[in-house]
Amino acid sequence: MSFLSISNAVKTFGANTVVKGFDLSVEKGEFVSFLGPSGCGKTTVLRMIAGFERPTSGRITIDGRDVTDAAPNKRRIGMVFQAYALFPNMNVAGNIAFGLKIAGLSKAETDARVQEMLALIGLSHLAERFPYEMSGGQQQRVALARALAPKPQVLLLDEPLSALDAKIRVSLREEIRAIQRQLGITTVFVTHDQEEAMSISDRIVVMNGGRADQIGTPSEIYNRPKTRFVAGFVGTLNVLRAQVDSHAPHTVTVGGKTVHLPRPVETADASGTLSLALRPEALSLTPSAARDVTFEGQVQGVNFMGSVIRIRMHVGDEAISFDMFNSPDLVPPKIGQQAAAHFSSRDIFELSA
Amino acid sequence: MKKTFPLAAVLIALFAASFFIVPLVATFYFSLKMTRGELGFAAYASVFNSADFLTTISYSTVASLIAIAVGAVIIVPTAYWVRLKVPHLRPVVEFISLLPLIVPPVVLVFGYIRLFGSNSYLPLTTTTAGTDVLLVLGYVVLSMPYMFRAVDNGMAAIDIATLTEAAESLGASRLRTIAFVIFPNVRAAIIAGAFLTFSISLGEFVLASLLNRPAFGPYLVQLGQDRAYEPAALAIMSFAFTWGCMALMQLFATRKPGQRWLPRLMTPAKRTTP
Amino acid sequence: MTLDAAASRTEMRAPRPKAMQRPALDWNWLGVAPFFLFAFLFLIGPVLYLVAGAFQNADGDFTFANILELGSPNIVASFSLTIRLSVLSALMGAVAGLLLGQAVILGGLPGWVRNAFTTFSGVASNFAGVPLAFAFIATLGRLGLVTVLLRDLFGINIYGMGFNLFSFFGVSVVYLYFQLPLMFLIIAPALDGLKTEWREAAEILGASRRQYWQMIGLPVLFPTILGCFLLLFANAFGTLATVYALMGSGFDVVPIVLFQQIRGNVLYNPNLGYALALGMVVIMGVSNTLYLILRNRAERWQK
Repeated sequence: MSFLSISNAVKTFGANTVVKGFDLSVEKGEFVSFLGPSGCGKTTVLRMIAGFERPTSGRITIDGRDVTDAAPNKRRIGMVFQAYALFPNMNVAGNIAFGLKIAGLSKAETDARVQEMLALIGLSHLAERFPYEMSGGQQQRVALARALAPKPQVLLLDEPLSALDAKIRVSLREEIRAIQRQLGITTVFVTHDQEEAMSISDRIVVMNGGRADQIGTPSEIYNRPKTRFVAGFVGTLNVLRAQVDSHAPHTVTVGGKTVHLPRPVETADASGTLSLALRPEALSLTPSAARDVTFEGQVQGVNFMGSVIRIRMHVGDEAISFDMFNSPDLVPPKIGQQAAAHFSSRDIFELSA
Repeated sequence: MKKTFPLAAVLIALFAASFFIVPLVATFYFSLKMTRGELGFAAYASVFNSADFLTTISYSTVASLIAIAVGAVIIVPTAYWVRLKVPHLRPVVEFISLLPLIVPPVVLVFGYIRLFGSNSYLPLTTTTAGTDVLLVLGYVVLSMPYMFRAVDNGMAAIDIATLTEAAESLGASRLRTIAFVIFPNVRAAIIAGAFLTFSISLGEFVLASLLNRPAFGPYLVQLGQDRAYEPAALAIMSFAFTWGCMALMQLFATRKPGQRWLPRLMTPAKRTTP
Repeated sequence: MTLDAAASRTEMRAPRPKAMQRPALDWNWLGVAPFFLFAFLFLIGPVLYLVAGAFQNADGDFTFANILELGSPNIVASFSLTIRLSVLSALMGAVAGLLLGQAVILGGLPGWVRNAFTTFSGVASNFAGVPLAFAFIATLGRLGLVTVLLRDLFGINIYGMGFNLFSFFGVSVVYLYFQLPLMFLIIAPALDGLKTEWREAAEILGASRRQYWQMIGLPVLFPTILGCFLLLFANAFGTLATVYALMGSGFDVVPIVLFQQIRGNVLYNPNLGYALALGMVVIMGVSNTLYLILRNRAERWQK
């Protein structure tokens, strides 16, 4: 039984349909991310869950109760905004206590809860500070504490880390996930950063043009993308044109090589052309028994990126790029050199749409 | 969230709008009622035919124009200098430029009368010409906050430092730079400030009345005591005038240097390469 | 002119004769000297002269007598009247301006409504003085259009009910015509500064509209509102032309009392005049300074 469910939500602004039929079931305690580029509708869906936008059609249910028509202040939802949105006229303790005050808790109860939340985010020593005296990371943690203080049913986060420095972003997302696990609160997290989504989510909803292109675990999304968009948006991808053998649907010609695919080709067009995708980590300069296909070509670029070296190669008229781990004894290939890249035929997959 | 009709907001807006508009409508209507039994522009005709109207409004117009010119000559170089050479004096200059907002005109003119009266070093009030000078300078002072702000904003919009360096590297003296490079580029800002000054000075009452000069302000008050319909006509004309000044001020405040003043009537013929 | 010619011209000017060189500061002072001279002669000087004169008697000796005479019943009554009028006018303007601002900027009305009010406010805040008085006489005077309409169409005789344009309350209604726009123009940026996220965050935490305004909206706006109130107070306090044109010389607000003193229409005591002027400058100076302080404080929160 899903805790939060959105069925066939549609949102139209005037002539513009921003959300084109969105379905999702979230389990209690699950951490789901909405991932997608700007304008894909992810924030709109989040705001519909919060109640700031009313769906043009569709229903939203939380814990069995239909909240589609309920006002935002009646939904028992916590929300963290991109711009922190801390109340400037109150200090940290006042901000965190706000929801409790509204709910009518006694002063003793409020104070106890505020202390509890301050300890949770590790900022007990900043209780008297005002927002303008704190850094972005600190403000966002206070915003999180404020949202969680009234013990909401669902926690919504609208790109909470986008305004922060890279280092803080990484440490804060871990903290958010740890707190979420500890409290077991159902959470929806909106972001355009795929690394962020993949590292902390139980499931990811990849959105594109108002629709959910794919819903799945990070591993599913990355290793088995259903659409070209998902494959391209999440991680880097090599896309290669291939030609299927009309008599043998398992066999394709790509990069001048014949490759036998484990499954018959399904997405070829009338002329037998299709797109195949290959993750960079599937390729290696080192041959092995598992890697049964070899692309030969000329090295076009070698980028030293620290722990990883990125190689670009031309195979026939296709370009591929792949990474190899750096090692002190390793001699990377030179530009212009002929090289052979090996991969397993099980790692290459079709791209639909 | 349901989108409810913003009833309260609409009511407030309507109420405010009527508070603003009804007096104007009433005044206009009143001004048309001079000829008994019919609506006509007799009040306006009476105003324009009055000799006093013509003399006082010309006097005030001339005084205002001179005040604008004097103000520009004093303020533009000052704003330029503060921006370029003595930025640390900016707080002082700004403070002084805002002082006229704190000093009521009645206090200012009182000071003038005592300081420049018959027993002072600069007995301006003893002669008509001297009093005229005092009146004009008083207008310059009253308009200083607005003039300075307008010119300062105009200068902020163009990069004077670089313009000055460019001019000087091409051989211009400081004076030349101000006259031929800076002035033209802040011309629009000056004109914006000018319109504001004009609207303040034309109907100004306190200075003109206490310095006993035949300006438009005192004429208006006198007329208010003597006549019924002409004051209403003048009120309408004054409002229209203020509106015109504000509109023109806006127009010039947002104009970029070099922008055309009037729209092109004809597009120039395209050159064709032979 | 070719570049070479221009370059050579600069070169020719570059080596300045030693005698002409002066430290930069000297020249720079000269640039702003006319301004300071003008300001001193025609702004600061006259005011200081009056301030000094307030502490002198007719023979030029130092005295507090003038200041003490400010305590005489007539003068006190005059200051009291002016302060009460200014407070009432500032209150009316502040409340009305805030309501209008809230309605037009945050109330969900179309954008052109705000633009229309902003434009009109720019004009109306400058439309003070004699013509404004005339306009209101034509509207709410005994034979004014609105007065007559209310009487003939609705049977409401406002003068019979006690309203009088030429009264304390009537004057403050006239003042409202330029106070309201001023408040609207100044409070508009502050209302813009009320981030929608604050409203949404409050709402999602369970607050109703009223609770948001009570606990967040008004407290955040308070410094600006108070500052505007002081600005409106000072604005009303210093007004002369409008109230003179409306009420004549008999309405004893401080500016008119001073006006009459200068005119010589009452027993001419220049030193009392100085004291009155000093009182005006002090009151207006204090309120404007407080306004500036509050404005700076408010800006700090907008970060």
